[in-house]
Amino acid sequence: MAPRVVVIGLASDFGCQVQMTNIEDHLLDVLGLIDLTYWQLASSGHLPAEYDVAIVEGAVTTEAHVEALRRVRETAGAVIAVGACAITGGIPAIASAGELADRYGCVYGEGGAEVACGRIAPMPVTAVIDVDYRVPGCPLDTDEFLRVLSRALQGLSGRIPEEPLCAACKTRENICFHDRGELCLGLVTRTGCGAKCVSLGRACTGCRGIAADANLDAAYALLASRGIPAEEFTRRLSLYNTLEEGCDR
Amino acid sequence: MSTLTVEHVARIEGHGTITVDVEGGEVRDIRMDVIEPARFFESMVVGRRFDEIPLITSRICGICSPNHALTAIKALEDALGVEVSERTVLLRKLLVYGSYLQNHATHLYLFAAPDYVGLPSVFPLAKTAPEVVERALRIKKLGNDLTTLVGGRPIHPVTAVVGGFTAEPAPAQLEAFRAALLGIADDAVATAELFASFEEFDFAGAGEMLALFAEDDYAIYDGEISALDGEWRRPVGEYRSVLEERVVAHSNAKHSTVDGRTFMVGALPRINLSAARLGERARGAMRSAGLSPGSRNTFFNNVAQAVELIDAAERCAGYVERLLGTGGDSTPVPFAVRAGSGAGATEAPRGTLYHGYTVDDDGFVTAGDVVTPTAQNLGNLEADMRAFAPTVADLPREEFLLAIERLVRAYDPCLSCAVH
Repeated sequence: MAPRVVVIGLASDFGCQVQMTNIEDHLLDVLGLIDLTYWQLASSGHLPAEYDVAIVEGAVTTEAHVEALRRVRETAGAVIAVGACAITGGIPAIASAGELADRYGCVYGEGGAEVACGRIAPMPVTAVIDVDYRVPGCPLDTDEFLRVLSRALQGLSGRIPEEPLCAACKTRENICFHDRGELCLGLVTRTGCGAKCVSLGRACTGCRGIAADANLDAAYALLASRGIPAEEFTRRLSLYNTLEEGCDR
Repeated sequence: MSTLTVEHVARIEGHGTITVDVEGGEVRDIRMDVIEPARFFESMVVGRRFDEIPLITSRICGICSPNHALTAIKALEDALGVEVSERTVLLRKLLVYGSYLQNHATHLYLFAAPDYVGLPSVFPLAKTAPEVVERALRIKKLGNDLTTLVGGRPIHPVTAVVGGFTAEPAPAQLEAFRAALLGIADDAVATAELFASFEEFDFAGAGEMLALFAEDDYAIYDGEISALDGEWRRPVGEYRSVLEERVVAHSNAKHSTVDGRTFMVGALPRINLSAARLGERARGAMRSAGLSPGSRNTFFNNVAQAVELIDAAERCAGYVERLLGTGGDSTPVPFAVRAGSGAGATEAPRGTLYHGYTVDDDGFVTAGDVVTPTAQNLGNLEADMRAFAPTVADLPREEFLLAIERLVRAYDPCLSCAVH
């Protein structure tokens, strides 16, 4: 029997789900390998009572999300968290600072809190349940997604790179932004994207999360020696990683 | 009184529920409850530097991310007094059309078409009508490839910044793409024919229709706000006083009115206002499909999107030719950071998108405002639902709800955008 797969979207731009449909060359092959029993974005129907693999996109921003995730964890053999929102909180986690009530007021004006009820401070899926696999990035990389999905379907271990981007970027022969006096987050950001942004003339913004092997102390010291204040580094790092350790100096 | 609901309406972007109150066999009330939780983007941009804003706002929506990035960039350029090159504008138009190709193909085939052939999703068609699914994927892929060519990846463009682009495609890539664009026009025509062949409800909405309008272009990147019935035009900078937004209890997205009326934005209003500016082949397909400018049938938004696909393919091929044939530079223009306020608008696939920002002396945002197409459409969608429901009330319950869902999907709503 083909593994039963469900796709669940929490608070997000649905971009990772869109990316999943962007594997046009392989989409029909992938669909042949799995029994895609629930995908609200693409099909009518309800989340079934039983399934094998749950793919979860988005950040947790309501109590209902928390409850839904707990049920998913009880039901699914394997949970794959996809995208920065699910793994680090991503962009939605910017709203974790300060009071939510102030944000209601900013967006809806007076009485706004009654409208957007049920919101809680944003957090990643990984803060609510254990996940078995992660596909980092904003948005997810489709090749990496296919590799991780394939490992999940085969019951293999989930592994993502934990070293910073710089080595891969060097092999692309990019000119280092730091040599031009510009801040690039590649020196602490998880590799695996092929240094796409730097190759296109933009400094890394850290969407794949802070690498476990990153030497944050050295990064802060290096930037200080080049006249970039710690606050500037923290602010830039906080774009996708505001809840992460190392983003709080 | 009993209540019918369609929870988590499928094949739309975001989370919404249709609620119908029925009493004595008659529809008493019908609502689109937008349960998608707010992410508070307007509060999240406050305190961030201007160069981070397009990165943040592009995450409002994974489908029209190029529009959110570019609309933010235009508003910030307005605030900072930045004038960009003609070449930059051409490249930006290609980015917008990349999202049209991708969005319209996804909406028409993946979201809308299953309703017309009585299927829960498009996937079973992969076995029974593979040529249709392959055509859908070809158009969608071309859209992604176009966005990738200009922006660096299918969603959340990397290269577009305030002032220009950080990288440009190589001429050989552009040349190859021109052929691909012309090649997809036949697929786009087949799409228009397919949707013209579906039996459509006979329905006329009563709302106003708004879109950007330009004398010399099919306006998707620039133009003035234009009203079909009101026959007025207003500069984008005045959008805040043109549109009235209000908070409603059953929706996390605000509702909008113009001149005291609900209104529709999207492909149908665009064609109603700018049909004469469509390419010849698109105009021909429009006539063959029985779509005449001024149509009030909301369901024709589907076929209008298909007509736009044809226009997009041919228009983009022309833009690529101009990029190849004329020089110019898209390198970000130099500018001084200064305090200011600005507004920008583009036509996203689903309708007019507005952004407005105020920045301080150091370029940090002190206030932000985003008005998305679906948020503008929601009030009109509910007015349509109330007018349409009684005309299908005799259908068996499942068919009745499906008809309402079809109306919702005709708007191609994006509830993540609407709430943001």
